[in-house]
Amino acid sequence: MKHLHDITLPAERGLYLPTMCKIVEAKELTKLEKWYRVELPGGQDLGHTPGQFVEVSVLGVGEAPISVSSSPTRQGSFELCIRKVGMLTSVLRTLDTGDTIGIRGPFGHGFNVNEFRGKDVLIVGGGIGIVPLRSLIHYILDRRAEFGRLIILYGTKSPAELLYREELAEWTARDDVEFHVTVDHGNADWTGNVGVITTLIPALQLDLPNTIAAVTGPPVMYKFVLMALKSKRLPDEQVFVSLERRMKCGVGKCGHCQINGKYCCQDGPVFRYTDIKPLEEAL
Amino acid sequence: MECYHLAQKAVPDLLEHLKKIAPVYAPHQKGEKSYSFERVTHASEVVLDYNRTMLSLKKFFLPPTERLLQYSIQKQNVVEEEIKPEKRIFFGVHSYDMQAVLRLDHNMIEGHPEPNYILRRQDAIFIGISFEPDDYHFSRSVGIRVEEMEGFDLFLNKVDTNYYLFILNKEGSDLLKGFQKLKAVKDIVRFERNFKNKLKYHYNRIPEVFQHVYHSEVWQKVAERCVGCGTCNLMCPTCYCFDVMDDVALDVKSGERRRQWDGCMLTPFAEVAGGENFRDKYEQRTRHRVYRKFKYITDQEGVPWCVGCGRCTAFCPAGISLTDIVNNLIQDYENQQYAKTGVVA
Amino acid sequence: MKPKVAFFDFTGCEGCQLNKLNFENELLDLLAHVDLVEFREAMDETSDEYDITFVEGSISSPSCVERIHDIRRRSKILVALGACAVNGGINAMKNIQPIEQVRETVYGQDKYRFATLPAMPISAIVAVDYEVRGCPMSQPDFLQLFKALVMGKTPPTYNYAVCVECKLEENECLLTKGQICLGPVTRAGCQAICPGVGQACIGCRGFVEGMNREAMVEILTEKGLSVDEAVKRLQLFNAYEVAV
Repeated sequence: MKHLHDITLPAERGLYLPTMCKIVEAKELTKLEKWYRVELPGGQDLGHTPGQFVEVSVLGVGEAPISVSSSPTRQGSFELCIRKVGMLTSVLRTLDTGDTIGIRGPFGHGFNVNEFRGKDVLIVGGGIGIVPLRSLIHYILDRRAEFGRLIILYGTKSPAELLYREELAEWTARDDVEFHVTVDHGNADWTGNVGVITTLIPALQLDLPNTIAAVTGPPVMYKFVLMALKSKRLPDEQVFVSLERRMKCGVGKCGHCQINGKYCCQDGPVFRYTDIKPLEEAL
Repeated sequence: MECYHLAQKAVPDLLEHLKKIAPVYAPHQKGEKSYSFERVTHASEVVLDYNRTMLSLKKFFLPPTERLLQYSIQKQNVVEEEIKPEKRIFFGVHSYDMQAVLRLDHNMIEGHPEPNYILRRQDAIFIGISFEPDDYHFSRSVGIRVEEMEGFDLFLNKVDTNYYLFILNKEGSDLLKGFQKLKAVKDIVRFERNFKNKLKYHYNRIPEVFQHVYHSEVWQKVAERCVGCGTCNLMCPTCYCFDVMDDVALDVKSGERRRQWDGCMLTPFAEVAGGENFRDKYEQRTRHRVYRKFKYITDQEGVPWCVGCGRCTAFCPAGISLTDIVNNLIQDYENQQYAKTGVVA
Repeated sequence: MKPKVAFFDFTGCEGCQLNKLNFENELLDLLAHVDLVEFREAMDETSDEYDITFVEGSISSPSCVERIHDIRRRSKILVALGACAVNGGINAMKNIQPIEQVRETVYGQDKYRFATLPAMPISAIVAVDYEVRGCPMSQPDFLQLFKALVMGKTPPTYNYAVCVECKLEENECLLTKGQICLGPVTRAGCQAICPGVGQACIGCRGFVEGMNREAMVEILTEKGLSVDEAVKRLQLFNAYEVAV
């Protein structure tokens, strides 16, 4: 047990104090999602790893955990992509270039890129699960030579919900990215795959010992994707997932994000699958 | 360890003496049948023989509700709430509540140290007092004796109608400088106090039990009686979860961010913005609460995070008993072991 | 432009409206944010469309149904105000008695001249966006909602028990003193104003979502009530939700 005499007093303050940041660019991506580029004062770096999150504040409204969607390899500003789902995000939706938001963080454990280095990387993103994964994708693209194959599977409910369309086109065009996209329900203009994201998995040719998977999506998706990966015989310890919980304080105190005995905001949000497999509340 | 006789009638004098050093907080009667820690104005109002206060000392270090930030929405500037460390004497604290403070210290220091808690806590002085276990106390079962003195600066152990006063450290002996009414004790008489309320197993064995009872029927049986009011969370001296909310002034130009105690037994606790609730059933919430007290942190730190104060049971509107829950789980575990091995665990 | 705000009332005592006029310190600040276009207790003016409409009272006759549909059509945001509008309130006690007997007791031999319906919350007929609970509606709760709407955010819903607010205040528990208190299942947001002065909670704010009714009845019977009496206690403000 830790005791008061284990730390130096006075304790450092500022744990809950947001840094006020400018939105330098904003764009509506879909009916629900809006993209922001945010600058810390003086253009300093956020210093995050792919998969980490920040607490975003709007003064007078509240604070919520939001994944960073840009890569630390692109410095000077960082990007967020926010879906309008709750109170804070509804108000965020109304903010634009020049407006101010508060930022705390980055917090938690992201993807351990060192473990990905030299390996083939399989990315599986469902819905807004692509947002934290985009940080990892950009990281790999910016240091392309350091990684093996980059396979990206991306699925949404409908074509209208696809995010980052220009980038998707770029990934499709690149020779060094194997990009597969699917929608649950197509429309008249859609000529691509139709079906849930798991339908993309059986056809994959994977170099099993040399592949690492990063999976993020809505809660219902994990079970099925993990089952599909299992039937490909990809070892569980080579699979990483990023989980969503109510990470209210971001610093392991408020208790809302507990998954059995773990704190999603401290031990996660990115977990090695084998670390959370024994946790009944995880998936 | 020095030990002195302190006559019961000298306790008010001791309190008056302490008040000159720093503000003193001690148990007072609150309402008809309840107690709470309050600042001492008249020594005569302090209650020495109390069973338990409603809230523990947690309320002084992690207040039920507190302002974290103040801000101007117009100017978009934010300032933290100023917290000045303050020397305060907590008098008449039971050993389980002291142990609860030590556990909270751990939670608040580990990982990101929590400055607000530490600032309020760092200069606190604790004077313990023994108690007669009632129908609800079971601290002995979780390894905390009535006379456990860890964490205290002074400790008063009642012998008949008077007290042994133990001086436990330099802070403790400094407190008594200039207080004349003490007579050294030559032979300390030790005696055991009996707890009626008990866990069936030594606390060392309980994490093992919890390894096997995640899917026990006990949770469902408790859920049938539970109304989810959160009393057990809020009154627990080692629960520290909170929610954070913004509140604006009527002119909508300025505001504050506050935090308020929250509890994992409350329905919205594990709900995320999209509406998904990761613990939407009563039995899941009860299980989480009890695992937090006997398994999750205990696995890391080696001691139960329940201190056996009995508050959750004494104040539960539905009369749900934590010792019953744990003992029923032990029974369930034994039945499982017997079915598996034919040997009584 | 300031939002246009209207107030309407249905079956109730109009105590909630009066309670708003009791905002002596805050009333002028509140009015600075809005254009008040319809408010029977305070002024007489009509406007066709409203940004925020507050509705008080419960639905209890066919004419109420017609009127609330009309109000809903003309309102962008509709807020139910007080126990009658949110839960049916005291009025809904008529639902647990034979309707003919109720009509006779109230109107005597003229009973056939007045059409009646079981008392219902506003949400039984039209979509309700937000609620301010309590009998009368709680003032701090109203202020929270009002500020939230001005800022474009969702008001708090307090989906937890009054017990929580009692504990935050360290009030002595009335149940442990042997009183019949509905705090364990009643929605918070009132800052436990009644238990705070030693008065047991009677459930005027309605119940928490997914209330464990059987367990609450059990608690009350442990305190000496019969099952029938316990259910009646729950029904005082909530007969619409707690049918027999």
